[in-house]
Amino acid sequence: MDKKPTVAEKVSPLKTVQETPSVLREPVIAPLVTYPIEVVVPEVRQQTPAVGQRATRLDGHLHGLGQTRYIDDLSFPGMLYAKIKRAGVASARIKSIDTKEAEAMQGVMAVVTGKDVPCNSFGPSLKDQPVLAYERVFHAGDGVAAVAAVTEQIAAEALEKIKVDYEVLTPVLDPLESLKLETPGVHAPSANIYQSKIIKKGDIEKGFAASDHIIEGHFRTQMVEHVPLEPHATIAMWDPNGRVTIYSTLGRITLGRADVARTLGIPVSRIRIVATIVGGNFGGKNEITTEPVLALLSKKTGRPVKSVFTRPDEFIASTTRHPLIMDYKTGVTKDGKIQARKIRLVLDGGAYCSWSETTLGKACILSAGPYNIDNLYAEAYVVYTNKTMTGAMRGFGAPQVCFAYESHMDDIAALLNMDPLDIRLINVFSEGSLSPTGQTLQSVAIKESLLQAAKRFGWNGKGSADAGANLLAEENANTNMVRA
Amino acid sequence: MRTFEFFAVKDSHDAVAVLAKHSVSSKVRVIAGGTDLLAELKFSPQSPNVVVDISRAEDLKSITLTDDGLSIGAVVTHSQIMQSPIIREMFPALANAAHVIGAVQTRNLGTLGGNLVTAVPSMDGGPTLMALEAIISIAGPDGRRQVPLNEFFVGPRKTVLKADELLAEIIIPRRNLGKPTHFLKFGLRKGQALALVNAAASFWVDWEKHTFVAPRIALGAVAPKVIRALQAEAYLEGREITPEAMAEAGRIAIGDAKPISDFRASAGYRRNLVGVLTKRALEGAYALAQAKR
Amino acid sequence: MVTVTINVNGEKRTASVPPETTLLRLLRDDFNLTGSKLGCDVGDCGACTVIVDGKAVNSCLMLAAQADGRDVLTIEGLATMDRLHPIQKAFEKYASLQCGFCGPGVIMSAKALLDENPDPTVQEIRDALGGNLCRCTGYVKMIEAIQDAARILRDEPVEINR
Repeated sequence: MDKKPTVAEKVSPLKTVQETPSVLREPVIAPLVTYPIEVVVPEVRQQTPAVGQRATRLDGHLHGLGQTRYIDDLSFPGMLYAKIKRAGVASARIKSIDTKEAEAMQGVMAVVTGKDVPCNSFGPSLKDQPVLAYERVFHAGDGVAAVAAVTEQIAAEALEKIKVDYEVLTPVLDPLESLKLETPGVHAPSANIYQSKIIKKGDIEKGFAASDHIIEGHFRTQMVEHVPLEPHATIAMWDPNGRVTIYSTLGRITLGRADVARTLGIPVSRIRIVATIVGGNFGGKNEITTEPVLALLSKKTGRPVKSVFTRPDEFIASTTRHPLIMDYKTGVTKDGKIQARKIRLVLDGGAYCSWSETTLGKACILSAGPYNIDNLYAEAYVVYTNKTMTGAMRGFGAPQVCFAYESHMDDIAALLNMDPLDIRLINVFSEGSLSPTGQTLQSVAIKESLLQAAKRFGWNGKGSADAGANLLAEENANTNMVRA
Repeated sequence: MRTFEFFAVKDSHDAVAVLAKHSVSSKVRVIAGGTDLLAELKFSPQSPNVVVDISRAEDLKSITLTDDGLSIGAVVTHSQIMQSPIIREMFPALANAAHVIGAVQTRNLGTLGGNLVTAVPSMDGGPTLMALEAIISIAGPDGRRQVPLNEFFVGPRKTVLKADELLAEIIIPRRNLGKPTHFLKFGLRKGQALALVNAAASFWVDWEKHTFVAPRIALGAVAPKVIRALQAEAYLEGREITPEAMAEAGRIAIGDAKPISDFRASAGYRRNLVGVLTKRALEGAYALAQAKR
Repeated sequence: MVTVTINVNGEKRTASVPPETTLLRLLRDDFNLTGSKLGCDVGDCGACTVIVDGKAVNSCLMLAAQADGRDVLTIEGLATMDRLHPIQKAFEKYASLQCGFCGPGVIMSAKALLDENPDPTVQEIRDALGGNLCRCTGYVKMIEAIQDAARILRDEPVEINR
């Protein structure tokens, strides 16, 4: 019984495994195949057996029973509830945070602020986002302090007792202002333009010179929140061995683990993230939000801590879709062939980088549209502003530029007195076309799709003049997506 | 939500007694359907100390014809109004207005009385009742008092109700029973949307002269409270019923409206809607008058 | 504290809760019926829909004390041990739910509708789902499933066309 393990015994399992007859290990080893493996790839546009088949969702059964466990449906013995105090000012210097009164409240178990975070910065690309604001507030949704209490209500009341003294600074809100060099940096001394991309193809000056008409268009899109039905939710449990288990609505667990490790200053191996079924992500749950804060509260209290975003939190403190300001200039011949296009995109990046790099790249690459344009110049900039951060959302910038280039195509058709369908058919990509960045495109069926669509909904060469359009005629202001 | 003391009352007398007892020293709120109140309290740091639940008040639950007219109890839900045979027969506009409020779940909880008490300018319950010159019966410590609906609203989210008073009944006066009325709402979506503008029109027809008699037009979401388009009404009184007259009344009603610009719509867009909706509401009421003739 | 007794899914249950507790919190936190979800907490999304005395309501907009003595049906009360409710079955068959968070609310709205109206038109179904937001799947498959379930509940032969 009290035989002490020896060093030799400790290494022995490995040895045993090595010596185990291979036949015992067979079930877990893939069958041997000879290389090269023959991969059956269907021909382009060939109907595969998978297409048209019915597939049933494996999780549909539990969903329908209401038995799927989302994060907020879990609870653990002794669990506390956390709430985060939001700054409520767009740009400010934090002079002081007084948490004494909140800490003294009955039922409040712990309070943390930015100074308690071991490494107060994270982000999927630039590490420019604080876990909790420390010294500076960069947007109104920044967390400034967090409370863990025995009930959600006590936590909410404790937030009101926390006094933050701000020196309010002038916020930068307009991305075009932010673009100017003389505008004070949101994250000074860093520049406000934090990413840019330029795509050049051919010679636009030559292209414009060869054009019969040059037309300009200016477009703007608004900020969009993902509004997943399930709000962001996290439960953190710090165990006495210094390991933390985090149940989270996170969609990218591995990335999240790295960010949690960085902010808490502990190795990745000490962090376990359990992600259950996510109740809607759409790109909004791609990065950590309050996970490190909850971990710290759990460490401080020794109890599991849960926090669920309120719907207002979702809007102000999670990522959103980038608003874009898009300037287009296109040269066309009188028969509708595009000769040259010049594009400038300004992305409102909000207070932090988040997934702006990806969005910027995709928006810029796709900004010319699915059209053969020999002479192209597209530039894109993403700038900091003191607003809710913008990040990943379905399409990464593609929907915004699509709104711009397709509206622009309609304007060109109107100028040339052409059918909007025809101008697209003249310019659209075909098999083997080169994308603006030089990629050879395969399986291109845009022309066929356009013709099919036109046939199916009975395209008559004009837009549909619906009676209801009269109501919308006076102003477009209510749609937000306005043509500037 | 902050905590509060909770009283469920069995009738309006009971409610008034609780209000009288607590409204002196505490902040008291009345809950019926709760669809407005709870949504407000959840995100408000201010909180009442006492909440009085009237949703079980027996004497406030019915839709009845009395000597005064049609009486709708304060806790009658929007769903009950939609399904009430007497309302569908006499005032289909009222049933239609109830149908465009919120969604099934909120209509099953929310009450017409609550809709009026919340007094948001875009309420869908208001214009039809305003066009029908409804009277509000208020229960208080000294018994009942009656206030015409257009004097009931004071401003956005403000009514003449005192802290110890309760909206008890909504009465559509006898002279207006069966008066052809039409209600229209324009929101950015069909479901779960606040009105950008809503409008109700109501008039009798003198079939011999084919003229408007006692025309009433009410507009929502275009002023700090639901308003009557008095200039448009004056224009129509005694005038021959023609499409042109209805269109002109719409144009005049624009002058009665004082809309603001907000994130839902600009003032100019709302003014345009006033013209269109007023005209269409008049047309709808006329179609109903013809059908009833 | 108020003492609330409700008949939930055919079973009488009692809890003592603070007066500001909503019916949704009572169901989720005190009765451990987590099928009803908190999505917006203000009655816009319908994820918390339950049926109270035969009517679909937002349980986040009803105080627990207001439900005292009433019959409450939640998503957990639809299926029996050996049989799914036809609406649940149809939702599974038509893959009407994707992330599933809106599902319990949608199914309860559909149940309330079919109890009142066994043969609803598409327009009536749309109206009944007007207070239930879905951000993934969309409503078309839900409407198909509800029509299918309605046919089964009416004992009509179901055409399998997909």
